[in-house]
Amino acid sequence: MSPFVFDKASILERLGGDEEIFVMMVDMFLQDVDRNCQSLREALGDEAAVLQREAHTIKALLATFSDNDGAELAQTLELRAKTGELADAPARVDVLLARVAEVADVLRRLSVG
Amino acid sequence: MHKVLIIDDSEINLTLIRALVIKLGECEPVLFDNPVKALEWCRSNEPDLVIVDYMMPEMDGLRFIAGFRALHGRTEIPVLMITANDQKDVRYEALLGGANDFLTKPIDRIEFSARVRNMLALRTGQKFLADRAAHLANEVAERTREIRDRERELIYRISRAAEFRDPETGAHIQRMAHYSEIIARGLDLDAATCNLILRAAPMHDVGKIGIRDHILLKPGRLTPQEFEIMKQHATLGYELLKDSGSEILQAGAEIALAHHEKYDGSGYPRGLKGSAIPLFGRIVAVADVFDALTSERPYKKAWSLDDAMRFLEDGRGSHFDPLCVEAFLAGWEDVLEVRQRFRDEEVPVI
Repeated sequence: MSPFVFDKASILERLGGDEEIFVMMVDMFLQDVDRNCQSLREALGDEAAVLQREAHTIKALLATFSDNDGAELAQTLELRAKTGELADAPARVDVLLARVAEVADVLRRLSVG
Repeated sequence: MHKVLIIDDSEINLTLIRALVIKLGECEPVLFDNPVKALEWCRSNEPDLVIVDYMMPEMDGLRFIAGFRALHGRTEIPVLMITANDQKDVRYEALLGGANDFLTKPIDRIEFSARVRNMLALRTGQKFLADRAAHLANEVAERTREIRDRERELIYRISRAAEFRDPETGAHIQRMAHYSEIIARGLDLDAATCNLILRAAPMHDVGKIGIRDHILLKPGRLTPQEFEIMKQHATLGYELLKDSGSEILQAGAEIALAHHEKYDGSGYPRGLKGSAIPLFGRIVAVADVFDALTSERPYKKAWSLDDAMRFLEDGRGSHFDPLCVEAFLAGWEDVLEVRQRFRDEEVPVI
């Protein structure tokens, strides 16, 4: 998986060039990211349906910032939770959490700068 | 202002769609992260557009659309479903299941705005047509009422025309029409039929227009030959009114032809017997004779109510249908009220 490349132009293009909405999305991501990561971690000890749901949420967050690789990680986890293939779930959650942290880092720097 | 219902379990998507919808202008977004609650809201609220995500826990977008379409009055409201790019089969299913169009994730503002605008334009058109249909239905009802009122007025005036050439008065046709209605009610006929006989009974003697004055206005007793001519008013009235498209005129034709038939078959013009005489004819026979007896005419005094009542009772089964006499006497209070209301001196307009 390649490192997260923040492609503002492509994200902005999807938002019709609307900076205001873009800023709103970044703020929202940063505001909720810790809570979302914690929920995903905790879902490992819960039913598969909960893990599936949390992975789904993370998928939407990453897709919003055009992180296709990250969204794909989340989707794979989501689908495997759905079919009950949970053997490698903890490892997958770790990888996904690292990815979310990486994206959050980039966005946070951008937001501060 | 368009009410746009947005259902997505992901908060970041809800926020994004809400922002995009507001940017479109003239839109009031209503947000739900739970499709079950959204469906509940739809029971008592009517959105102009629904934007619903496909993949949600508890209830997916397809099931939401099925539930939404099953609600009363929600079959036409546009629905957009949000699906990921790779969910082609879901899209097909959504379109077959009642979605009007779909949006792909991640959401693209240009595509989003165009599709939402199209759906809102569709909704505006639907509402316009519905308003227009309701407006036209009102107009038609209004015009129909006017035509019906005019029909009643014309019938009353035609009936009066016949009576003008007769010693009988305008009040007579009012009274006998209301007596006929009293009998119809007593026979438990439905309200529309009771109203029909009230409107049609005044035409019973309209055929007198065709009877020559020296017979119609003769002060003394008619000779047998003259009486034969006089009898023709029943058939003349029928000929005048028959084959009309108007229900009231059709009833009037039947009444004109049958109101001189007698229950035992000794009446005219056809000599029909018992239930072979049309019901309206049997009803009007009682009403017409009773009013003729109790009214003063140039050639006779008015009978007392008791004498007239006795005449009806005596005529049960011979002259009159016993059930019609019974219904008339059962409505005696109303009969007296009608007599009071329509006196010979003054003729109120129907």
